[in-house]
Amino acid sequence: MNGEAAARAGFRRGAFVAPWILAVAVALLVFLTGAFAPPYIATDFVLKLADSGLLLGILALAVAFLMSQAGLVTLGAASVYGGVGYLFALAMSEWSMSPLGAGVVALIVVLIYSAILGALIIRTTPLAFMMLTLAAGEMISHAVLLDGLRDYTSGADGLVVGFRGTFFGLEADNFADPIRFWPIIWTSAWGIALAVLLVRRSRLGAILRATRQNEERMRFSGFDTYSPRLAAFVFVNVIAGVCGLLHVLNSGFVSQESLGLGVSTNALVAALIGGTATSTGPLVGGLIFAFAQDQFGARGFTQLLTGLAIVVFIVIFPGGIVGALGNFVRRIGGGRRREVD
Amino acid sequence: MLEIDKLSVSYGTVHALQEVDLTIAGKGTMHGIIGPNGAGKSSLLDAVSGRRRPTAGAIRYRGENITQRSVAWRRRRGMARSFQRTNIFQDLTVREQLSLVAWRLGDERVGDVIEAMDLRDCLDEKAGRIAYGVQRRVDVALALIGRPLLLLMDEPGAGLSAEETLRLFQHVRDLVDEREIAAVVVEHDVDAIFACCGVVTVLDLGRHLATGSPAAIRADQRVIKAYLGSAA
Amino acid sequence: MIALLIANSLALASLLIMMSSGLALIYGLRDVINFGHGALYMLGAYLGYSIAHATGFWVALVASPALLALVGAALEYLALRPLQRRSHIEVALVTLGLGIILGQALIFVYGGEARTVDAPPSLSGSITVLGLTYPVYRIFLIGMGLGSCGLLALWLNFTTSGLHVRAVSQDPSVARMMGINADRLSLLVTSLSAAFAGVAGVLAGPYLSVDPGMDVTMIVSCLIIVVIGGAGSIAGTIVAALLFGFVQVAGSVFLPDFAALAPYALLMLVLLVAPRGIGRGRAPA
Repeated sequence: MNGEAAARAGFRRGAFVAPWILAVAVALLVFLTGAFAPPYIATDFVLKLADSGLLLGILALAVAFLMSQAGLVTLGAASVYGGVGYLFALAMSEWSMSPLGAGVVALIVVLIYSAILGALIIRTTPLAFMMLTLAAGEMISHAVLLDGLRDYTSGADGLVVGFRGTFFGLEADNFADPIRFWPIIWTSAWGIALAVLLVRRSRLGAILRATRQNEERMRFSGFDTYSPRLAAFVFVNVIAGVCGLLHVLNSGFVSQESLGLGVSTNALVAALIGGTATSTGPLVGGLIFAFAQDQFGARGFTQLLTGLAIVVFIVIFPGGIVGALGNFVRRIGGGRRREVD
Repeated sequence: MLEIDKLSVSYGTVHALQEVDLTIAGKGTMHGIIGPNGAGKSSLLDAVSGRRRPTAGAIRYRGENITQRSVAWRRRRGMARSFQRTNIFQDLTVREQLSLVAWRLGDERVGDVIEAMDLRDCLDEKAGRIAYGVQRRVDVALALIGRPLLLLMDEPGAGLSAEETLRLFQHVRDLVDEREIAAVVVEHDVDAIFACCGVVTVLDLGRHLATGSPAAIRADQRVIKAYLGSAA
Repeated sequence: MIALLIANSLALASLLIMMSSGLALIYGLRDVINFGHGALYMLGAYLGYSIAHATGFWVALVASPALLALVGAALEYLALRPLQRRSHIEVALVTLGLGIILGQALIFVYGGEARTVDAPPSLSGSITVLGLTYPVYRIFLIGMGLGSCGLLALWLNFTTSGLHVRAVSQDPSVARMMGINADRLSLLVTSLSAAFAGVAGVLAGPYLSVDPGMDVTMIVSCLIIVVIGGAGSIAGTIVAALLFGFVQVAGSVFLPDFAALAPYALLMLVLLVAPRGIGRGRAPA
């Protein structure tokens, strides 16, 4: 063996670090930098946008997971996102619960609701499923405006939601202040993204993807194709619920707009922009959407861009921005272009 | 193993199967089902495998009436089926789909099936990318996982050359002999059926016409007339 | 009272039949939902408005569908055909995006307020039929609805292309084996569907209104109808449209607070009872 090769071998042996340790270290670094650096480099306003961007991103992650893994589109994500806010307020005002208790109760209601709704609608075709999630969402949206419930929901005015005491040991202004909220939403986003990653890589993820490809053959191979999809539906709705809680803690306000179809479609578009197959894609998409929406103020223009974004990110960049970046990096590294799940 | 009792399957006004009686003996049997077009062969398999609910009649599997049971239930009890139109997972690799089904059916020995169906070379290819003939073998392989007791095959030779079909049939014949499973094979390629099956049933226009050894069937006047009559 | 209810239901259903059968045809043929169908309707309505103001209602009734047919062809060549290898969700989303863009373009050109279109003089006023005094225009609308049903039935059942459409909708793979040119069929169906949307748009002017939200309202209604009607079944779609029309009208009369939710309730109820919809369309896989 000549000197060069020996040196290379020696270098490899001495500097050996398992790839996964490196990945975790990098991730940790990014996480910590991301949690603490932005307040020093960004203005309050930019942070506020980033906060709402990540909130939308988490909701987008929920929608994206269901779409990419189970092949189901839910248009009712916003009704859970906003509905949780109302439930949270009600639990505190009507049942005198502590903020944390109210949050837990709200999430439990979401769990039960999505389990029942899912049980009813998952047996139908994907299109019917989508329309049914829309129907359920619109019904909830309307329910909020009903005269009969005005005392609880304040109808069209929306509900101001504040809390005394602590939520997870933090007081209200920690959530309301954009600067102090940032580490909270950043950490939550990472936590949820990790959960999604774990589920996606799990057996359940494999079953969902296979069912999406060929539901019939799954049944002919002895699989129950119903329960996994139900589980996925409940999972994503709970994520939407957690996201909604963060939102109401941050904004201190919830109204019919929070649970409207507009928010659901925004989440969908954000997912498409970032890429539905990964955990980071929708989060990036949410941030991009929030900043883009701020830039292109006038309502009509955002709608137009939304339409354009949908077309562009399906036709030209089907993997979204994260997907495209991933492919680019891989191509530089000489690897094969990985197909999107 | 399998008893089909006055089975009828109708689609609206079309009577695909009318009061068919059939008995499939136990392990080690390779039972062929042939018949001219429109005989109801696929409908028979659809009803037995659970894909379609029969309009009348009963199906008894290993002594139990399974007419109302779900497709997945039947599979888990050892009744496996392969498809005429290749029905596999296009975006999964061969290895991935075989492992997934193996996990479900509690079968660790996927290697046997891979060997039997000669899939060693394409294990890490996405199923959508491989040659059609190989895809057909994957389709059959998926049915072979989990040590099925009854294998239902719907025109396994569809889209394959006569030579490939015969080879596939011989594979299955070997499995039937080795593993003592029972196989019911619906096929158009009559030669392959006669070559490998011990018993052959002929259906015509939804009704049972004849059942017997290949030699007996080949000589049966009714069968000859049925095929000649529908020489389309 | 009942007679008025039925008449109004029929009038609304007529419009919905024209729209949802177009949507159902494309869905049955390509297994793709054109989410931009509502925007096509809106385009037909606004074009109809402009043309009607220039040359009158009847010219608009012919010109708008003709123009829409061209738009439909464009949709087929520029979007549906190039993307046919993609998953159905993706194609559907693309049509959604295109629909949003079209809708926004119309708002940009025409502004955000509602426009009124007057019924032509020959169709204005009311007449008394079977003891019911009813606007002539709506009777005309019902007539158009019946007419399009009839034309659709004739086409599907008595022409070669109609037969082919039914065959492909029932079982796409078998139809391909029979050598049916799915591409040419698709072009025909898409253009036809767009043309029908054009007719519906023009007719909607004097009946409802021409406003910026009409695309969303219409596509949601059509989707509910197509789902209730069942995939691949035109008969189911027509029945569903009639049901929808009735529920919508009855809802606004008897339960005005919940009227907007009535269609959703209908959707949930029907699917609970018949998960694959009313019609007996595509054979289960």
